[in-house]
Amino acid sequence: METSRSEYSNGIPSRKLIPKPNEPSAKEPELQTVESRNWLLHRHFTRKEFGICKILIQEELERTRGKHEYANYIQGLILRQEGKIQESLDCFQMCHSLDLKNVDYIKQVARSLFLMGLHSLALEAYLEAQQASKVPDWDIYHNLGECWICLGDYTKAKESLRQAVQLGHHEHSYVALADTYKMEGEIQAAIDIYKAALEITFRAAPDSAQLATSLGLLYLQEGKYQHALEKLGGALARDPQCARALLAAGAMMQNHSDYDVALSKYKIAAQSWPESPALWNNVGMCFYGKKKYVAALSCLKRAHYLSALDWDILFNLGLVHMATQQYASAFHFLSAATNLRPAHAGTFLLLAITLRHLDDPDNAAEAFKQAGLLSPMDASIPLNYAVFLESQGDLDGAALQLERFQELAQMSPRLSSELVQTATQLSKVLNRRLMSSNGSKVEGVDGNDKSNMAIEVEAQVRVRNPPVDSSPESLPRNHMADDEV
Amino acid sequence: MDPVFSALSLYKKRKFEECVTTCTELLDKNPFDQAVWVLKMRALTEQLYVDDLEAEEEGIAEAFMDNETIAESARPGTSLKNPGTSQGGSTQGYRPWTQTGRPVSGVVRPGTQTARPGTMEQALRTPRTSKTARPSTSQSARTIRLGTASMLSEPGGPFIQLSRINLGNYASKPALAKPLFLYILYHENSIRHALQLAVLATQACEFKDWWWKVQLGKCYFALGLMREAEQQFRSALRQHQCIETFLRLGRVYIRLDQPLSALDVCRTGLEYFPKETTLLTEIARIFEGLNNMTMSVKYYREIVTEDSTNVEAIACIGMHHFYTDQPEMALRFYRRLLQMGLYNAELFNNLGLCCFYAQQYDMTLSCFQHALSLAKDDDVADIWYNIGLIAIGVGDTRLAGQCLRLAISADSTHAPAYNNLGVLELRRGRVNEASAFFQAAASLAPYLFEPYFNHSSLSHKMGDLQASYIVIQKALEAYPNHVPSQELLRALEKHFTFI
Repeated sequence: METSRSEYSNGIPSRKLIPKPNEPSAKEPELQTVESRNWLLHRHFTRKEFGICKILIQEELERTRGKHEYANYIQGLILRQEGKIQESLDCFQMCHSLDLKNVDYIKQVARSLFLMGLHSLALEAYLEAQQASKVPDWDIYHNLGECWICLGDYTKAKESLRQAVQLGHHEHSYVALADTYKMEGEIQAAIDIYKAALEITFRAAPDSAQLATSLGLLYLQEGKYQHALEKLGGALARDPQCARALLAAGAMMQNHSDYDVALSKYKIAAQSWPESPALWNNVGMCFYGKKKYVAALSCLKRAHYLSALDWDILFNLGLVHMATQQYASAFHFLSAATNLRPAHAGTFLLLAITLRHLDDPDNAAEAFKQAGLLSPMDASIPLNYAVFLESQGDLDGAALQLERFQELAQMSPRLSSELVQTATQLSKVLNRRLMSSNGSKVEGVDGNDKSNMAIEVEAQVRVRNPPVDSSPESLPRNHMADDEV
Repeated sequence: MDPVFSALSLYKKRKFEECVTTCTELLDKNPFDQAVWVLKMRALTEQLYVDDLEAEEEGIAEAFMDNETIAESARPGTSLKNPGTSQGGSTQGYRPWTQTGRPVSGVVRPGTQTARPGTMEQALRTPRTSKTARPSTSQSARTIRLGTASMLSEPGGPFIQLSRINLGNYASKPALAKPLFLYILYHENSIRHALQLAVLATQACEFKDWWWKVQLGKCYFALGLMREAEQQFRSALRQHQCIETFLRLGRVYIRLDQPLSALDVCRTGLEYFPKETTLLTEIARIFEGLNNMTMSVKYYREIVTEDSTNVEAIACIGMHHFYTDQPEMALRFYRRLLQMGLYNAELFNNLGLCCFYAQQYDMTLSCFQHALSLAKDDDVADIWYNIGLIAIGVGDTRLAGQCLRLAISADSTHAPAYNNLGVLELRRGRVNEASAFFQAAASLAPYLFEPYFNHSSLSHKMGDLQASYIVIQKALEAYPNHVPSQELLRALEKHFTFI
């Protein structure tokens, strides 16, 4: 207490005891260069030791009063990986203000803007970066392309991405470019891009199983099954667990009625992806192909449970129920499918046939007409309609529809033999019945059974890279609030 | 008639109130009649006696101030805390999980709600049903309610003044001590005094009476002294094997989060009492808590062969069948429950769902109508939600939307309904509304992965990568094995880690 009193008088510190500011110390101050610990930062960052990294950065920033370029840069990168984009943007802007000429910083700022979804601002920033950079940089072009895609200007996007591809040969650019073509519907161009990408990245890229799968899927879309199979096989050779490729390969096997091989593929895929509705759908249709209807139904139902809003699955469920002659159930599934997707002719055709079996000829006729409207070029619809009309006794209508079928059949050369057979049988029956105009029921019913099968091919396989929305989850809440005695 | 005899007869007829008044009159005449005194005590106890084995519920305080935990992160399949880690269990994709972070169970019982949630906030939010709150104190809700009996003012002061009574005197007289103990425990609900008496009594009989040891264990258990309780129960079991003791010892291990030891105890119990349904039920419940549904159902099946009217077992088996793609089988079990005379909204709800998935469409809607007419406030939301699912199943999205909105109006915290509304809005192309619904669902129910995933994939599509990246990580926290989430995260990481 004594000392304190001598030091302070009336609360004012006595003058001579104030430490003099900036008293020159005996030793020369050690001037650390700003970059002296950059190597350490870099090392920790590359080892993903972000905790230590952050402490170091804090020290560096305090020492340099926030003017440390590299520390700011690394902090920005770390913050970005943690998902704090706004804060990382601040760091990069600090870097940029410290060194206006550095293109990297502009690029990072632009990237932050892009990640925040501010595409037009990002685009401007990238354009600025492009001007600042002396050599053409594939990264800038690539990102410009991405920005244009997000802004919806595909031609400019393609232009930028093409340049990126030429400069960098980078996988991401190829994928983005191919995606652009796909979005514009130019499948062939997309295939070419993928081919080029595969040739270039064949040795280096470990991720090329994905590329090969994408290419395979494109071939599949184009209907070039041989090429598709080749590519998918290649993808599987590199990554035997790749679920997408397995699913696609299985679907192709399924298309060729090679159900056992397809099932073996699906079995592997199911291990890595047990909750995929597409997978269970395809497995179900495999069983359907093998005529194991109960197994097919339970697989399809599981698929339906996992993705309740998917009309494919409902359609297939309807088909299998028809095969087991449970027409009421089939009707329910098919009507649900038409509700979810009203513009599919095949569903209406199936619906019509079910209605016919449920003894509702009026609605069946309506459904046939609707199917015909939706898909006027499908030959199987008039044929089925003709068979239906014939069984109803409307011979003139049947003849008209049969005529229509024959017109369409001439236009499409690759028609399944089953359809043609049914048609010839039907025409015979019609002729006979028109001859004996008594109209007594002749034994011409045999055409009917087959006609159901005519549209199966449509139903079989949809290689679906699963839709993004997770289905509304079926969460049956079973609360049994019971007393336990 | 001799008034003592008539009081005894009233006691046997379980007319406790009248018995108590008769005893009071008798005691007024002769305060030192021990027989009448004991009779009155037993009548008072009997009025309030409950099966406290089923009443036990873990409060928030115990879940958090838990100093008995052995390992912070237990090995897979050895802890009730994280049921998701066990092998061969059902996943969230098939069987939905409840707010407490475990798969839905066939019956609501105290144990199913004991969640040991991750954070305090989540624990406070977790309701027991949709309306009542979870008990937040160390003793179970029912025990607290018991205590109120002692707070009722009785004419002429309390029957026994615990603070004045000389416990040592009574401890040496077994005929008096046991009723007195039960009176103190159940009527007065004073565990401290009960414990004192039990300690004195067990000393007086030279530690030879197993009954006192069980009671001591009960007291220790209620006070949260698990290790002491364990000792007492074990020592009691050495002297005498009794079903109740096995069950209580099992409960101690469950509280200590050592389900495997609890299973061992129950199995030993089964050696003495083969096919005993209470022990089998306990085992089945523990397996369910460990998310090992196949084993759980196996034990429930054993129960049903022994006791074909066991509601819990039938309901749990039915539930298991429903979530393993066998709605027809589930339907049979639930129908059995209906035949047994159960008649409530939950049952009709489940019947309706089973009918729908088993394609008995004509029954579905009438079941749900019954359910709605029987439903109490907290069930209505769930039933509307399920009707919404049926509407989605028949492709009527407008009806589905209306049902889901009704569900929300009945219970504004119904997260799955918000999620499904979001999906429906997304189908109609209304992105902003969908996103808002997903966010609402996610904030209400952090244990569901669907809203997170939907929100994230939507943001990804819209180009808001930052939001997508943050949200998808939460989805993976809720359900680490969700493959689409993993793929989305991988795609996003390319953007975020690429320099």
